[in-house]
Amino acid sequence: MKRCPTCQATFPDATERCPKDGAKLAAMSVTMGWDAVEAPAEASPAPAKPAPKPAAPKAPAVMETEPWEGELPDALKEKFGDAITGYFRYVGQSFLTAKPEAAVPILEFLKSDWGFDYLVDVTATDDPAKPERFELVYILYSFSRNERIRIKARVKEGDKPATAVPVHITADWLEREVFDMFGIEFAGHPNMTRILLPDEWQGHPLRKDYNILGMDQKWVQENLGIESGQ
Amino acid sequence: MRDFLRKIFLVDLLEGLWVTLRAQHPKNIVTEQYPAARPKVAERYRGAPRLNINPENGETLCIACDLCALACPENLIVVGWERNAETKRKELTTFTYDTSRCMFCGLCEDACPVDALELTQDFELASYSREGQIFDRQILEEGIHPTPYKH
Amino acid sequence: MPETFLDSTELVLNMGPQHPSTHGVLRVIVKLDGEKVTGTECVIGYLHRGVEKIGENRTYAMFNPYVDRMDYVAAVSNGLGYCLAVEQLLKVEAPARAQVVRVILTELNRIASHLLWLGTHALDIGALTPLFYCMREREDIMMIFEKYCGARLTTHAFRIGGLQYETYQGFEQECLEFCDKMLPRVDEYEELLTGNRIWQQRLVNVGVLSAADCKAYGVTGPMLRAAGEKWDLRKAQPYSGYETYDFEIPTRTNADSFDRYMVRIEEMRQSVRIIQQGVGRLEAGPVMAKVPKVIKPPVGEAYVSIEAPKGELGYYIVSDGSTQPYRVRVRPPSFVNLQSLDKMARGGLVADLVAVIGTIDIVLGEVDR
Repeated sequence: MKRCPTCQATFPDATERCPKDGAKLAAMSVTMGWDAVEAPAEASPAPAKPAPKPAAPKAPAVMETEPWEGELPDALKEKFGDAITGYFRYVGQSFLTAKPEAAVPILEFLKSDWGFDYLVDVTATDDPAKPERFELVYILYSFSRNERIRIKARVKEGDKPATAVPVHITADWLEREVFDMFGIEFAGHPNMTRILLPDEWQGHPLRKDYNILGMDQKWVQENLGIESGQ
Repeated sequence: MRDFLRKIFLVDLLEGLWVTLRAQHPKNIVTEQYPAARPKVAERYRGAPRLNINPENGETLCIACDLCALACPENLIVVGWERNAETKRKELTTFTYDTSRCMFCGLCEDACPVDALELTQDFELASYSREGQIFDRQILEEGIHPTPYKH
Repeated sequence: MPETFLDSTELVLNMGPQHPSTHGVLRVIVKLDGEKVTGTECVIGYLHRGVEKIGENRTYAMFNPYVDRMDYVAAVSNGLGYCLAVEQLLKVEAPARAQVVRVILTELNRIASHLLWLGTHALDIGALTPLFYCMREREDIMMIFEKYCGARLTTHAFRIGGLQYETYQGFEQECLEFCDKMLPRVDEYEELLTGNRIWQQRLVNVGVLSAADCKAYGVTGPMLRAAGEKWDLRKAQPYSGYETYDFEIPTRTNADSFDRYMVRIEEMRQSVRIIQQGVGRLEAGPVMAKVPKVIKPPVGEAYVSIEAPKGELGYYIVSDGSTQPYRVRVRPPSFVNLQSLDKMARGGLVADLVAVIGTIDIVLGEVDR
């Protein structure tokens, strides 16, 4: 068998050129194992010969960030001091890490003094290996500065970070979703209930120890009258 | 005054009605008479899966490389194979494709290195049972046979 | 309060989840005083499929078809946002030709989304005819999608690093023909609706949400622009080469449902302009950047957002260096915009509530994910 390097179609051995695009056919072994299949760089149209695989350098286990410098971090440094633990940039995006109790004052300060009046998103990530397993992420945008920043704060399980609703109303549903998916309760939130899942649901699905097949079977059986939801 | 007359004679509503009347012209009718007249689907349409066979010798083109099963987001393809003792080649034995979970994303046909697995232009995939949605090798090679429409 | 012989206790009513005007499975608990709405509460989640959890258990390439199923009316926009986010993490950029094709398809999808909105919104208000016309034009767009990538609704049109499919024979011509046809058709919708006094009475000064409120609620998209804020991510933070296209951001000042209608109508015209420019720029070239077959972005995180038809659609992806994303967060415009329903509907009539739900332009697949 022969294979066209551009369109990937296969042809009998006798064919010299691909009838579709005229490319010279590359010989192909029919007894294909994994390696033979991997070799031709599919979909990339140019290479007639398989691109040599670079000896993949071991990806560093930490994010390769750059420090974030400028007016805004300086002002924050002056105002909050040690409460903000780091200023970073990665792929052109700025973010800072802060202590959880400082998160809402930072949001307030940025809104009043720097025009960050639009809270884009509140979300979290979970890493059960760390003592402070959840990382809250606030994404902010300023219409006047056309700038987007992120504020990240790590919280322990059972911690109750303060709610951002008094500063940004939009945090209402977003924090409810974080509570629903991760089980982080926000102190002072007007309506701290589940939003996407039913109220009686057990467990918080986006935690890493919640298996993808581990849906609340008891709830499903009681309320839907079926054996399993899967 | 002009506005008043427009209001009296319902000009704004009549303008809208004129648009409706214009669309009544037979050449503006766009409805398809589906079961009676079959629609022509595009060449790249992603419909029922098919396992291509070599028209020259009737053997399957599939080389049992399992790439489609690995590419499938829903894990619905199961490729069965055994190694031929004489030629030392993998030979396809069974192939199941569960269309009830398929979302026709086309990742399997993109992954196929020999163009054996293909999503075809057949779009009539309804079945009377869930089991009927699970295609085995025979159905995949011969194609689906939907009940033809009768008046 | 004057004494009346009528019982004026508060009435609590369920609207949905299977009410035709709630565009899917939205359930609104409405508190009524007579016919006046004194409070609403949205109950959502009926369509929750755990897309973010699925994303953590799939490879980057495998997750791509799933994002189409969130905002299924604008599947191409969803795919674009996801691909851009992963490309940002991988630090690759799609080739020029792929970017132009992406822009054309995304704008076609924006028109399709607005058409579906217009048809169903008019249907909610009581105008039956526009639905058929909108569907007729939407069908043309669906045909282009079907010919391009083989699917009509959940297209899976883009891949990480570019496009899987080269455009088909006659793609440019069909797009231009559609554009030429679309402009008079938009005028036709306006003829049907804009001057129509029933339409105006139902929409003017209904569901007012000022620009300041929009920002407080995080409302983006046509709703923000109808409040007078000239903000569109395609201009503010351009992606896929939008900065090189010549188009306007339509804005209005009244911030009511009627203005949102006008903004969307005008956006369709602007999208047609973008498509016409895009087709003129299609040059031969590769459509796929050099992306490793097994996608493994370095450890890192990125938030990338695009201007979807409904507002700001963002993807926040955290990579731990493996083949599967560590966390995929979708910032859905519908979900955030829906939050403002209570603010807009309070004090209005029940009939206005229907208009307000329609005017937000929600897709429950995206609200619930």
